[in-house]
Amino acid sequence: MSAASTMSRPDSTTAPAAQRTKRARSDWTRTRATGFMLIASLLVLWEISARWGWIVSENWPPVTQIAKALIEALSSGELSIALLATLYRVMLGFAIGSVVAVALGILLGRNRLADRLIRPPIEVLRTMPGPAILPPLILLLGVEEALKVTVVSLASFFPVFVNAYAAVRGTDSTLLNTARTFRLGRSVTLRRMLLPAALPSIMAGMRISISIALTVAVIAEMVSGASGVGYFLMSMQYAMRADVMYAAVALLAVVGYALNRIFVAVEGRVLFWRSR
Amino acid sequence: MKCYARALSPGLRMMAGMAIGAWFCAHAAAQTPLRVTYLPTLDAVPMFMAMEKGYFKEEGVVVQATPSQGGAAAIPGLMGGAYDITFSNVVSTLLAQQQGFKLRVIAAGTKNDPSAKPVTGLLTRKADGIKSGKDFEGKSIAVNTRNGVIWLFARSWVKKTGGDPSKVMFKEVPFPQMGDALRNKQVDGIFTISPFADSATKEGDVVRAADPYTEVQPTADIGHFVTTEDFFQKNQEATRKFGRALRKGVQYVNANFKAPETQLLISTVTKLTPEIVATLPQMVMPERVYPEEYAKTMALMVDAGLLRSGVDLSSMIDPAQTK
Repeated sequence: MSAASTMSRPDSTTAPAAQRTKRARSDWTRTRATGFMLIASLLVLWEISARWGWIVSENWPPVTQIAKALIEALSSGELSIALLATLYRVMLGFAIGSVVAVALGILLGRNRLADRLIRPPIEVLRTMPGPAILPPLILLLGVEEALKVTVVSLASFFPVFVNAYAAVRGTDSTLLNTARTFRLGRSVTLRRMLLPAALPSIMAGMRISISIALTVAVIAEMVSGASGVGYFLMSMQYAMRADVMYAAVALLAVVGYALNRIFVAVEGRVLFWRSR
Repeated sequence: MKCYARALSPGLRMMAGMAIGAWFCAHAAAQTPLRVTYLPTLDAVPMFMAMEKGYFKEEGVVVQATPSQGGAAAIPGLMGGAYDITFSNVVSTLLAQQQGFKLRVIAAGTKNDPSAKPVTGLLTRKADGIKSGKDFEGKSIAVNTRNGVIWLFARSWVKKTGGDPSKVMFKEVPFPQMGDALRNKQVDGIFTISPFADSATKEGDVVRAADPYTEVQPTADIGHFVTTEDFFQKNQEATRKFGRALRKGVQYVNANFKAPETQLLISTVTKLTPEIVATLPQMVMPERVYPEEYAKTMALMVDAGLLRSGVDLSSMIDPAQTK
């Protein structure tokens, strides 16, 4: 901390107690705990509504029962195996979709002919909702891995492509002119200029994609096949085991959150030159 | 084991290996694999019983069973070659036939039994006092899928009991959520199946107003196993072996529905808890297909506008399954 900033802030040892309390409260409200407090309150409300019979439904078990079901389903391995199957599809589909998206984003962003040729079909495909094309895709790809990985790749592709394409198109012309002046080859320009300049946008697209990939993988599993969290929660729903079904939903929420946090951490490492 | 293997000369070991390999190959060749997709409901229990009892093995077929969540994936999966056989229902199969997907019924699945305790039902709120199709005019009924077998019989029941089906709104609601939709007044009636029907009527505020299957077509064939016409022509013997073994499974389940081993199998296949399984009414599965019932259902479909005209049933049902 610099001397100036130290001087501009009141000394904590001499500040009045009321001011300290106020600052402590304002610091607390800035932490992530506030968000968790809201979730915790809603869960308590859920528990009470189920226990006291405010909502009469087989599909409304108390939260504590769901927590118990989650522990049991995870420890028996039933849900853990399903989760691993889903994560495998998410990661593979996300990786394929992102790599293709970045490659096409750069190609179309730099090559006018490729742009005019390939971008229109991409734009048309972009508006198609993934779940809607599942039944026709089943005809071509079957019901297992090929189908699910394809659907996840497609869903992951578009946000990354749009960001990569826009970033490459919007690259500062001074950068490119400098590369030309120094007679840098295409490969060096790509690696040293274009990619670093486009990376923040690409990473932002990938962060959107990872959540979409998880959602789409689960939807695909709900429609076809016999593995993964999507299939698991559908079968539990039809077996009238709402507590286990919600346990799977809760697990998905936690995994989605964890994936996002991991991605933010990776982003921080990769984009080390950006001030945080 | 290791010392015995070491004691043999290399030549003898090789010969023994070849003999075992040949035995496995011959054995594997004798067993025709069949990839079957099923709905993880009570309807699939006879097939699993046939697997457990070794009926398929006796016939020389190996069933590779994969669960599916319903028609959205089953028929495209069959046509795309992901499966050889799928569980379907009469309405979906007739619709697929009209759309040019050539299918062949190779085994019976489920059938309505008017003498048994109903396992399906049209449920309403007790306070509403709805009793007939006429009462439903201007109101709504939840069905699992539009243009499906449940929708067809709900619609036909409305008509049979004095109502105009065009004045009733049919809303798509998945079976597990139907009870909630009725209680929350999002719909006025639900056409649901076991065990959801029993669960919804437990509190007493929801009652069984009608049994549309029994009132419209008492002995209707509902579910069955189908394959593509192409697969049937190329593997007729294997599909008939499947049908014969399944029939034995049906006979066993019908005779031993309340036996602990059947109850355990139901719980394993459907994932229902043993407590719920114990409350399920005895189901009688059909041993054969009844083409005359298909004809009646087809007439209902034509009347509802689902089919333009009749479908040639003789080329759709394997004759061996009608006896």
